[in-house]
Amino acid sequence: MSQAPAPASAGGREPLPTAAPEAPARSSSGHGLSVGRLLSGIPALVPAAIVVAMVVVLLEKSQLELLPGFFSSDWNPSIAHPQYGIGVFVAGSFMTAIPAIALAMAIGLGIGIGGTTYLPRNVSRLLDPFVDLLAGIPSVVYGIWGFVVVGPYFGAVTNPWLYSHLHFLPGFGGIPPQASGQGLPLAIFLLTLMALPITTLLIRDALRSVPKDLWESGLALGATRWEVMRRVAIPYSRRGILSAGFLGFGRAFGETVAVAMVIGSVASFPANVFGTTYTMAAVIFQTVDAAQGSSNYLQALAEIALILLAISLVVNIVGRRLITGFSSEQISGL
Amino acid sequence: MTTVLSPHPDLDDNILFDRSARTRWRIGFDRWIGRLLPLLFLVAILPILGMVYWVSEQALPTLTWTIIVGQSPYATDQLGVPIIGTFELMLIATLLSVVLGLFGGVATAELLSPRAASVVRMTANMLVGTPSVIIGFFGFFVFVLYFGWGLSLIAGAVTLSMFMTPYIFRTADLAFTSVPRHIREAALGSGAAPTQYILRIATPIALPQILTGIFLAMAIGVGETAPIVLTTTAGKLAPTSLTSPVTFLTAIIWDGFNQGSGSPFFVLAFQAAFLLMVVVVALNIVVRVVAARYQKRLEGLYQ
Repeated sequence: MSQAPAPASAGGREPLPTAAPEAPARSSSGHGLSVGRLLSGIPALVPAAIVVAMVVVLLEKSQLELLPGFFSSDWNPSIAHPQYGIGVFVAGSFMTAIPAIALAMAIGLGIGIGGTTYLPRNVSRLLDPFVDLLAGIPSVVYGIWGFVVVGPYFGAVTNPWLYSHLHFLPGFGGIPPQASGQGLPLAIFLLTLMALPITTLLIRDALRSVPKDLWESGLALGATRWEVMRRVAIPYSRRGILSAGFLGFGRAFGETVAVAMVIGSVASFPANVFGTTYTMAAVIFQTVDAAQGSSNYLQALAEIALILLAISLVVNIVGRRLITGFSSEQISGL
Repeated sequence: MTTVLSPHPDLDDNILFDRSARTRWRIGFDRWIGRLLPLLFLVAILPILGMVYWVSEQALPTLTWTIIVGQSPYATDQLGVPIIGTFELMLIATLLSVVLGLFGGVATAELLSPRAASVVRMTANMLVGTPSVIIGFFGFFVFVLYFGWGLSLIAGAVTLSMFMTPYIFRTADLAFTSVPRHIREAALGSGAAPTQYILRIATPIALPQILTGIFLAMAIGVGETAPIVLTTTAGKLAPTSLTSPVTFLTAIIWDGFNQGSGSPFFVLAFQAAFLLMVVVVALNIVVRVVAARYQKRLEGLYQ
């Protein structure tokens, strides 16, 4: 959303009185805390109840015990003596989400600075919705577009070019990239696009919240716009920018379907930066069907889900705590 | 900067009108970075246009009315069954999440103490940040297995509503919290009961934004794949009861991908993707138009 967030006065707002003014206070606690108030507050607990229920169910399904070899990287759930090592998936999730959020932050900062500082207001008002619209496209459409259009291009042009020019670098040599283009670069590309809207939106919000006084004093002292941005506006809004990083990372980390379509779905570490691997979200999504017969298999998936949920929640809480009040992310619901 | 005529030519060597190499570099750098940074908008615009163009190019030449309304049993060439399935899933999920989200949002904004409200807001934000596959996995354990609903319409719809509820919750909360303070105090000060205030004063002001939130949650929900794929199974026909199997648009795309190019499903996947994008983009535009108008009205109320 291109508008500034509504000036909501979330703090210092008294809750509505429960009893009509003329009714005698008959609350025994003496703090106006009545049964009616408690009952009418119950619907507010719906999201909390869902989160708690998720944690409880997943903990119950994980049976509170780790499967043998859980922290190894041998994942062979369908053989006679199944192995449930999750190392590959954890590594895969981080290897896709961290580069993606780094790229999204760089691009988001560029768009945020360009849009708030350098472009005329009406031009940026025209361009901003495009970034927001990226968030509206279903992830399965990203996935099939990545698989059919971008993948072959990566496989035929980008990856071979990088391979032939950079193969002396560690991580770039070894097995030549696949022609389908499936693998880390494609997953990172899609995740960058998918994390971009929320990152850009929060950065834009943060930069817009810099007081005009600071801008004007900086310019009046003879600094260029870039210098004010670099030395004043960005330090001033660093909390908001940091929160964009956290929340964008959370988005990229939990993304499922698009990644499942392009990551290659192989439970082994990637051979090099072009290699195929697997992520936590994708393995849950793609193997629930296969796991139905085996309680150990489901237990392993529940444990992966718990780890994924824990990381997502921590990242989200940290990211949210950096923002005060409502953000326009809430208005446009990214 | 083109030549700036200084008012005091004799002061030109003064720092104020410094034309040293360093100053020229600073000004030039500022100008060029200002030209280059906006080019990054292309990173967002080109994929959008590319995707829309490509999906339309794949789908439109073969898309006919028969494909959209035709209901051949678990179609490999027609989308009628998945469209009805999507509609029914969305209907149940939206109704459920509107009820839960709306009451929850109003309670948070109006009845809880600021401290309790901020905790509750945090839980809603946590739910928004939960990966959708985990919600699907939870739905699979609870609704499909534990409640014994099986892979069915109702299991999918309830799971989807868990996913959509926090979005409606947050916009309802925000909408009621953003009712201007002076209006709220005037209403309460002139003796309105809490229910009178909520129903007669706040709701009309908050309504456009609540509707925005509902549309938004629908746009996000209709494009979700993971929660529904994990809790439903494909049906040959449109669902007849709550426990029927159900097919929907995103699943058609996921199936098409799994069957690989060359299968009839693969072609159908593009047509499903096209319809999905039309719906999602339309909902997004509605949201933006309503939100922009609402914002203006809200600014009016604040004056």
